[in-house]
Amino acid sequence: MSVPTLDRASVGTELPELRVRFTRQTLVRYAGASTDFNPIHYSGYYAEKVGLPGVIAHGLLTMGSALRVVTDWVGDPTRVTGYFVRFTKPVVVPDDEDGTEVVFTAVVSAVDGTRVTVSIEAVADGQKVLGAARAEVELGEDA
Amino acid sequence: MAISATHAGRSYPPTAPYEVSAAKIAEFAAALGDDSPAYGGADPIAPPTFVAVISATAWESMFADPELDLALRRVVHGDQRFSYVRPLRAGDTIVATLTIDKVRVRAGSEIITSSVAVATVGGETICTAQSTFFHSREVAS
Repeated sequence: MSVPTLDRASVGTELPELRVRFTRQTLVRYAGASTDFNPIHYSGYYAEKVGLPGVIAHGLLTMGSALRVVTDWVGDPTRVTGYFVRFTKPVVVPDDEDGTEVVFTAVVSAVDGTRVTVSIEAVADGQKVLGAARAEVELGEDA
Repeated sequence: MAISATHAGRSYPPTAPYEVSAAKIAEFAAALGDDSPAYGGADPIAPPTFVAVISATAWESMFADPELDLALRRVVHGDQRFSYVRPLRAGDTIVATLTIDKVRVRAGSEIITSSVAVATVGGETICTAQSTFFHSREVAS
Protein backbone atom coordinates (compact mmCIF):
# COMPACT_ATOMS: atom_id res chain seq x y z
CA MET A 1 0.00 0.00 0.00
CA SER A 2 1.50 3.31 -1.02
CA VAL A 3 0.60 6.24 1.17
CA PRO A 4 0.50 9.62 -0.60
CA THR A 5 3.49 11.74 0.30
CA LEU A 6 2.96 15.19 1.71
CA ASP A 7 3.99 16.86 -1.54
CA ARG A 8 0.95 15.22 -3.15
CA ALA A 9 -1.35 16.55 -0.44
CA SER A 10 -1.62 20.31 -0.30
CA VAL A 11 -4.68 22.38 0.43
CA GLY A 12 -6.94 22.12 -2.59
CA THR A 13 -5.75 18.68 -3.73
CA GLU A 14 -8.78 16.84 -5.11
CA LEU A 15 -9.17 13.14 -4.38
CA PRO A 16 -10.57 10.75 -7.01
CA GLU A 17 -14.37 10.77 -7.01
CA LEU A 18 -16.28 7.69 -5.84
CA ARG A 19 -19.75 6.72 -7.04
CA VAL A 20 -21.66 4.15 -5.01
CA ARG A 21 -25.08 2.72 -5.80
CA PHE A 22 -27.33 1.86 -2.86
CA THR A 23 -30.10 -0.62 -3.62
CA ARG A 24 -32.40 -2.39 -1.19
CA GLN A 25 -29.91 -5.25 -1.27
CA THR A 26 -27.13 -2.89 -0.15
CA LEU A 27 -29.27 -1.86 2.81
CA VAL A 28 -30.10 -5.44 3.78
CA ARG A 29 -26.42 -6.39 3.63
CA TYR A 30 -25.45 -3.41 5.77
CA ALA A 31 -28.24 -4.16 8.26
CA GLY A 32 -26.90 -7.67 8.73
CA ALA A 33 -23.25 -6.67 8.86
CA SER A 34 -23.82 -3.79 11.28
CA THR A 35 -26.68 -5.45 13.22
CA ASP A 36 -28.76 -2.28 12.76
CA PHE A 37 -32.17 -3.78 12.02
CA ASN A 38 -34.26 -0.62 12.27
CA PRO A 39 -37.09 -1.42 9.80
CA ILE A 40 -37.02 2.06 8.23
CA HIS A 41 -33.99 0.73 6.34
CA TYR A 42 -35.87 -2.11 4.62
CA SER A 43 -39.63 -1.70 5.06
CA GLY A 44 -41.63 0.96 3.24
CA TYR A 45 -44.48 0.34 5.67
CA TYR A 46 -42.41 1.30 8.71
CA ALA A 47 -40.57 4.12 6.94
CA GLU A 48 -43.84 5.81 5.97
CA LYS A 49 -45.28 5.20 9.42
CA VAL A 50 -42.63 7.50 10.91
CA GLY A 51 -43.15 10.13 8.23
CA LEU A 52 -40.27 9.32 5.88
CA PRO A 53 -40.76 9.57 2.11
CA GLY A 54 -39.64 5.94 1.81
CA VAL A 55 -36.99 3.47 2.89
CA ILE A 56 -33.76 5.29 3.71
CA ALA A 57 -30.13 4.18 3.87
CA HIS A 58 -28.45 3.83 7.26
CA GLY A 59 -26.62 7.08 8.02
CA LEU A 60 -23.62 5.02 9.03
CA LEU A 61 -23.68 3.23 5.64
CA THR A 62 -23.38 6.63 3.94
CA MET A 63 -20.71 7.63 6.47
CA GLY A 64 -18.75 4.40 5.96
CA SER A 65 -19.03 4.63 2.17
CA ALA A 66 -17.90 8.26 2.16
CA LEU A 67 -14.72 7.39 4.02
CA ARG A 68 -13.73 5.06 1.16
CA VAL A 69 -12.85 8.17 -0.85
CA VAL A 70 -10.17 8.85 1.74
CA THR A 71 -9.00 5.30 2.45
CA ASP A 72 -8.82 4.47 -1.28
CA TRP A 73 -6.61 7.55 -1.74
CA VAL A 74 -4.42 7.02 1.30
CA GLY A 75 -4.12 3.27 0.68
CA ASP A 76 -3.64 2.40 4.33
CA PRO A 77 -6.82 2.80 6.44
CA THR A 78 -4.80 2.77 9.68
CA ARG A 79 -3.76 6.34 8.78
CA VAL A 80 -7.25 7.67 9.58
CA THR A 81 -7.16 9.25 13.05
CA GLY A 82 -10.50 11.03 13.11
CA TYR A 83 -13.74 11.26 11.16
CA PHE A 84 -16.81 13.48 11.55
CA VAL A 85 -20.07 13.78 9.65
CA ARG A 86 -23.38 15.52 10.12
CA PHE A 87 -26.37 13.58 8.82
CA THR A 88 -28.20 16.38 7.03
CA LYS A 89 -30.55 14.57 4.67
CA PRO A 90 -31.70 10.96 4.38
CA VAL A 91 -30.80 8.96 1.28
CA VAL A 92 -34.08 7.51 -0.01
CA VAL A 93 -33.59 4.13 -1.71
CA PRO A 94 -36.43 2.96 -3.96
CA ASP A 95 -37.31 -0.71 -4.35
CA ASP A 96 -36.08 -1.13 -7.93
CA GLU A 97 -33.02 -2.24 -9.88
CA ASP A 98 -31.27 1.14 -9.88
CA GLY A 99 -31.63 2.23 -6.28
CA THR A 100 -29.91 5.56 -5.61
CA GLU A 101 -26.44 6.64 -6.65
CA VAL A 102 -24.41 8.61 -4.12
CA VAL A 103 -21.48 10.64 -5.44
CA PHE A 104 -18.61 11.25 -3.04
CA THR A 105 -15.99 13.91 -3.69
CA ALA A 106 -13.24 15.13 -1.41
CA VAL A 107 -10.57 17.79 -1.21
CA VAL A 108 -7.64 18.41 1.12
CA SER A 109 -8.81 21.30 3.30
CA ALA A 110 -5.96 21.63 5.81
CA VAL A 111 -2.39 20.48 6.28
CA ASP A 112 -0.79 20.70 9.72
CA GLY A 113 2.65 19.11 9.74
CA THR A 114 2.03 15.52 8.62
CA ARG A 115 -1.63 15.66 9.56
CA VAL A 116 -4.00 16.24 6.67
CA THR A 117 -7.69 17.09 6.87
CA VAL A 118 -9.87 15.99 3.97
CA SER A 119 -13.33 17.52 3.50
CA ILE A 120 -15.88 15.19 1.93
CA GLU A 121 -19.11 15.89 0.07
CA ALA A 122 -21.84 13.34 -0.55
CA VAL A 123 -24.59 14.04 -3.06
CA ALA A 124 -27.66 11.92 -3.83
CA ASP A 125 -30.44 13.02 -6.20
CA GLY A 126 -28.70 16.38 -6.53
CA GLN A 127 -28.78 17.09 -2.80
CA LYS A 128 -26.05 17.07 -0.18
CA VAL A 129 -26.70 14.29 2.30
CA LEU A 130 -23.75 14.86 4.65
CA GLY A 131 -22.67 18.13 6.24
CA ALA A 132 -19.25 19.27 7.43
CA ALA A 133 -17.85 15.78 6.72
CA ARG A 134 -14.12 15.60 7.26
CA ALA A 135 -11.49 12.98 7.96
CA GLU A 136 -8.14 13.50 9.61
CA VAL A 137 -5.29 11.45 8.19
CA GLU A 138 -1.73 11.03 9.47
CA LEU A 139 0.62 10.91 6.47
CA GLY A 140 3.90 10.98 8.39
CA GLU A 141 6.39 8.12 8.39
CA ASP A 142 5.77 5.44 11.00
CA ALA A 143 2.31 6.75 11.79
CA MET B 1 -39.48 11.50 34.41
CA ALA B 2 -37.90 12.64 31.21
CA ILE B 3 -34.38 13.34 30.11
CA SER B 4 -33.09 16.73 31.26
CA ALA B 5 -29.86 18.68 31.61
CA THR B 6 -29.32 17.01 34.99
CA HIS B 7 -28.55 13.73 33.19
CA ALA B 8 -25.25 15.08 31.86
CA GLY B 9 -22.46 12.99 33.33
CA ARG B 10 -24.54 9.83 33.59
CA SER B 11 -22.61 6.71 32.56
CA TYR B 12 -23.73 3.18 31.80
CA PRO B 13 -21.97 -0.07 32.62
CA PRO B 14 -19.67 -1.37 29.86
CA THR B 15 -21.33 -3.50 27.19
CA ALA B 16 -20.76 -7.26 27.20
CA PRO B 17 -17.33 -8.09 25.71
CA TYR B 18 -17.45 -8.38 21.91
CA GLU B 19 -14.84 -10.33 20.00
CA VAL B 20 -13.96 -8.86 16.61
CA SER B 21 -13.70 -11.72 14.11
CA ALA B 22 -12.11 -11.85 10.66
CA ALA B 23 -15.43 -13.15 9.32
CA LYS B 24 -17.40 -10.17 10.69
CA ILE B 25 -14.79 -7.74 9.35
CA ALA B 26 -15.08 -9.35 5.90
CA GLU B 27 -18.89 -9.13 6.07
CA PHE B 28 -18.77 -5.45 7.09
CA ALA B 29 -16.23 -4.52 4.40
CA ALA B 30 -18.36 -6.35 1.79
CA ALA B 31 -21.44 -4.44 2.96
CA LEU B 32 -19.54 -1.21 2.26
CA GLY B 33 -18.39 -2.60 -1.10
CA ASP B 34 -14.83 -2.08 0.08
CA ASP B 35 -12.28 -4.57 -1.26
CA SER B 36 -9.23 -3.03 0.44
CA PRO B 37 -6.69 -5.79 1.19
CA ALA B 38 -6.34 -4.32 4.71
CA TYR B 39 -9.69 -5.91 5.62
CA GLY B 40 -8.76 -9.43 4.47
CA GLY B 41 -5.86 -11.84 4.67
CA ALA B 42 -4.32 -13.37 7.76
CA ASP B 43 -4.38 -10.40 10.14
CA PRO B 44 -7.17 -8.03 9.06
CA ILE B 45 -8.05 -4.68 10.56
CA ALA B 46 -11.65 -3.49 10.61
CA PRO B 47 -12.89 -0.59 8.45
CA PRO B 48 -12.77 2.55 10.63
CA THR B 49 -16.56 2.87 10.95
CA PHE B 50 -16.84 -0.74 12.22
CA VAL B 51 -16.63 0.73 15.75
CA ALA B 52 -20.25 1.81 15.20
CA VAL B 53 -21.28 -1.84 15.68
CA ILE B 54 -20.17 -1.92 19.33
CA SER B 55 -21.08 1.75 19.84
CA ALA B 56 -24.66 0.98 18.84
CA THR B 57 -24.92 -1.54 21.67
CA ALA B 58 -23.92 1.24 24.07
CA TRP B 59 -26.41 3.69 22.48
CA GLU B 60 -29.15 1.14 23.07
CA SER B 61 -28.39 1.09 26.79
CA MET B 62 -29.10 4.83 26.90
CA PHE B 63 -32.21 4.64 24.71
CA ALA B 64 -33.59 1.86 26.91
CA ASP B 65 -32.97 3.71 30.20
CA PRO B 66 -36.49 4.05 31.67
CA GLU B 67 -35.56 7.19 33.57
CA LEU B 68 -34.84 9.07 30.34
CA ASP B 69 -38.19 8.13 28.80
CA LEU B 70 -36.85 8.04 25.23
CA ALA B 71 -38.58 6.36 22.30
CA LEU B 72 -36.14 4.93 19.77
CA ARG B 73 -38.54 5.58 16.88
CA ARG B 74 -38.37 9.30 17.66
CA VAL B 75 -34.56 9.42 17.84
CA VAL B 76 -32.64 10.87 14.88
CA HIS B 77 -28.86 10.59 14.64
CA GLY B 78 -27.65 14.17 14.08
CA ASP B 79 -23.90 13.85 13.83
CA GLN B 80 -21.10 11.42 14.52
CA ARG B 81 -17.40 11.73 15.29
CA PHE B 82 -14.90 8.90 15.67
CA SER B 83 -11.48 9.66 17.18
CA TYR B 84 -9.10 6.75 16.75
CA VAL B 85 -6.12 5.71 18.85
CA ARG B 86 -5.57 2.59 16.76
CA PRO B 87 -7.58 0.43 14.35
CA LEU B 88 -9.62 -2.54 15.51
CA ARG B 89 -8.08 -5.89 14.61
CA ALA B 90 -9.49 -9.39 14.34
CA GLY B 91 -9.00 -10.99 17.72
CA ASP B 92 -9.59 -7.82 19.75
CA THR B 93 -12.17 -8.26 22.49
CA ILE B 94 -13.75 -4.91 23.19
CA VAL B 95 -16.26 -3.17 25.43
CA ALA B 96 -18.05 0.15 24.97
CA THR B 97 -18.92 2.54 27.78
CA LEU B 98 -21.36 5.39 27.22
CA THR B 99 -21.46 8.71 29.03
CA ILE B 100 -24.08 11.40 28.45
CA ASP B 101 -22.09 14.61 27.91
CA LYS B 102 -24.83 17.17 27.51
CA VAL B 103 -28.59 17.47 27.23
CA ARG B 104 -30.28 20.53 25.78
CA VAL B 105 -34.05 20.69 26.20
CA ARG B 106 -36.08 22.53 23.59
CA ALA B 107 -39.83 22.88 23.23
CA GLY B 108 -40.96 19.33 22.48
CA SER B 109 -37.52 17.92 21.87
CA GLU B 110 -34.12 17.22 23.36
CA ILE B 111 -30.62 17.32 21.91
CA ILE B 112 -28.42 14.67 23.50
CA THR B 113 -24.64 14.56 23.14
CA SER B 114 -22.95 11.33 24.19
CA SER B 115 -19.49 9.78 24.15
CA VAL B 116 -18.78 6.09 23.82
CA ALA B 117 -15.33 4.93 24.90
CA VAL B 118 -14.33 1.79 23.00
CA ALA B 119 -11.55 -0.16 24.69
CA THR B 120 -10.16 -3.67 24.85
CA VAL B 121 -11.10 -5.77 27.87
CA GLY B 122 -7.49 -5.18 28.91
CA GLY B 123 -8.19 -1.44 29.14
CA GLU B 124 -6.45 -0.25 25.96
CA THR B 125 -8.36 2.63 24.38
CA ILE B 126 -9.25 2.07 20.73
CA CYS B 127 -11.62 4.89 19.85
CA THR B 128 -14.02 7.49 21.18
CA ALA B 129 -17.35 7.81 19.40
CA GLN B 130 -19.14 11.12 20.01
CA SER B 131 -22.71 11.48 18.81
CA THR B 132 -25.52 13.98 18.78
CA PHE B 133 -29.04 12.60 18.82
CA PHE B 134 -32.28 14.54 18.39
CA HIS B 135 -35.26 13.18 20.29
CA SER B 136 -38.76 14.53 19.75
CA ARG B 137 -41.46 14.26 22.37
CA GLU B 138 -44.74 12.65 21.53
CA VAL B 139 -47.39 15.29 20.95
CA ALA B 140 -50.37 14.70 23.23
CA SER B 141 -53.46 14.23 21.11
